[in-house]
Amino acid sequence: MFKLERHTDISRKTSGLIVFLSLLLAFFVTGIIFYLLNVDVIQFYLIICNVFITPALLLQVVFRSIPIILASLGLVVAFRMGFWNIGAEGQIYMGMIAATGMVILHVFYGAIPASLMLVVMGAVSFLAGGAWCLVPASLKVRLGVNEVLTTLMLNYIAMLLVDYLVYGPWRDPEGWGFALSIPFPDYATLTFGGHPSMAGIIISIAVATLVYVLFKYTKLGFMLSVLGKSGEVAKYAGIPVGRVTLLGSLISGGIAGLGGLYVVSGMIGRLRPRISPGYGYTAIIVAMLAQLNPWLILPAGIFFGGLLTAGDALQSSLRLPFSVITVFQSIIFLCIILAEFFRRYRVVLKR
Amino acid sequence: MSIEWIEPVLASTTSIGVVYLLGSLGEIYAERSGVLNLGLEGIMAIGAAISFIITIAWGHALAFLVASVFGMLMGFLLAFFTVSLRLNQIAVGLAITMLGSGLSGFIAFPTTRKTILQFLNPELPSTALEIQSAPMLPSVPLPFLKEIPIVGPMFFNHNIAVYIALMLAPMMWFLLFRTSIGLKIRSVGENPGMADALGINVFRIRYFTCMLSGVFSALAGAYLMLGFQPFWIEGMTGGRGFITLSLIILSTWSPLRAIFGSLLFGGIEVLQYRLQLFGLGATSPQFVLMLPYAIAVITLSLLSLESFRKRISAPAALAKPYYREE
Repeated sequence: MFKLERHTDISRKTSGLIVFLSLLLAFFVTGIIFYLLNVDVIQFYLIICNVFITPALLLQVVFRSIPIILASLGLVVAFRMGFWNIGAEGQIYMGMIAATGMVILHVFYGAIPASLMLVVMGAVSFLAGGAWCLVPASLKVRLGVNEVLTTLMLNYIAMLLVDYLVYGPWRDPEGWGFALSIPFPDYATLTFGGHPSMAGIIISIAVATLVYVLFKYTKLGFMLSVLGKSGEVAKYAGIPVGRVTLLGSLISGGIAGLGGLYVVSGMIGRLRPRISPGYGYTAIIVAMLAQLNPWLILPAGIFFGGLLTAGDALQSSLRLPFSVITVFQSIIFLCIILAEFFRRYRVVLKR
Repeated sequence: MSIEWIEPVLASTTSIGVVYLLGSLGEIYAERSGVLNLGLEGIMAIGAAISFIITIAWGHALAFLVASVFGMLMGFLLAFFTVSLRLNQIAVGLAITMLGSGLSGFIAFPTTRKTILQFLNPELPSTALEIQSAPMLPSVPLPFLKEIPIVGPMFFNHNIAVYIALMLAPMMWFLLFRTSIGLKIRSVGENPGMADALGINVFRIRYFTCMLSGVFSALAGAYLMLGFQPFWIEGMTGGRGFITLSLIILSTWSPLRAIFGSLLFGGIEVLQYRLQLFGLGATSPQFVLMLPYAIAVITLSLLSLESFRKRISAPAALAKPYYREE
């Protein structure tokens, strides 16, 4: 019979090796499934590899990985405090709404000086994403409502709110009736040296640093970690569990909101319905692949940004639907979860 | 104002409600045994896609059968990860939901679907390979019973799947609350250690309930496709699986009360279509579309109020993996 033994201590090297092997397993399993469904598997993987080695495409990869990276950095905060925030998708949408709202305030009402636009948009999208995460967090703190279902429901509500705005009051009067907001003026466009991705990378590295500092050096970060290990311990240690949960989720949702800012202000330049191809859900996989380490989020996010970019290439060259990427992502997800098992246990043969 | 409008409203309430009812019947068993199947949404999507394809190739009966086989496989996957490997049920459930929605989109995509259909039934005419909708289950009005005002159109003028689902609910309630197997399932969800000590095989029970939940989730999807909305759209489950998870809490994990919970959320959806026709819905339908999700959040919050919580109690070991002391 087999017996499971708990690892008492596992080196970082072994742990990394297990995750790497689980990724290989994901490639293998996906290959088998796609082979059975009559997909040219070799071609499929070549296209994915190609995305990472062609310079022009690599730029596109980085461009598309920023929202995933930001949402994922937000999730690091939530997951480390044991708050199952499945709502990054909705928090991204709220960030987009807030950023667009500022542009509209400025263009139609002249409310904000042009030079301050990006700063104001950043602050407001952070707050909007954070507020959207505060709803389930305060329901959890005040009433004990489990956050998994509420964060999920709020995703759908946020997505419909975007639909309402762009089909309704925020529709561009000069947009030939399409469901689009007005285009963002130059000074409301997130870019650095002419590249939105450059601005995105700078913001991502800055946020990753802040998240790292938060957990490494601050009292709040320490309290969040204790809370994540055990709610009971946190309570006995005198940590104000309610307030810490609220603050942590504000930060978590806020960072995802910044992802939304990047999408409308850096990538697209307008608000339109259903912009996100599931950035917020992909971010969950990225956070787990990176084992909640803010630095590892960057490469992990770029890998998944590459998969999204490859999804477009697969559509045009192999005429595959985008959902093949969803399938691949979910198998990677399952294999990462499986890796968690091998990091926790050793399987021993017992006679 | 005449009451003639009320009968079609109630009839469609039941039509939609059965999607929720089928999904919740299996899920209640899984949760009662201590496993949260968050993959419900994705398994539903798989069930819808598979039943869509199989109906065109082989007809209705086999469509439900094949869909439930795939549902069972997904349930097995859930059990293997959460019961045997003791991994986090939320993460595994989310992964299964993503897998299900991805696979459903892939296999029902026109080119893939065509290949699969040609493989399954080479004699299909070329028009059948291209169609975006499946033949719906025929309606079988029950003689005499359908004449009863209000109740007749609500319950006795539907397709066979609706009758079966409505009969399954009390049967599954009986199985869960009045038989020894039901007692075993519930005790595993309340106190797996004690159940194990009494000689109940915790792992076997949880494997069974997970696979049962997979079957019913897939059936809910198949019914959605064949009995309610026969046009294939990617993402047609639209969060109904997650809403099912909330209505189970509202139904306090009882298959009988799930009938009422399902009809409630079915009713909200019908209200949504009605409101879209006039008033608020005509100018901004999005707010009406938000209703089921918003009401689910509100319901979850109200149920968590102190006074309610005393009366409803979730299975104590829900979402907790079981470690056997050795």
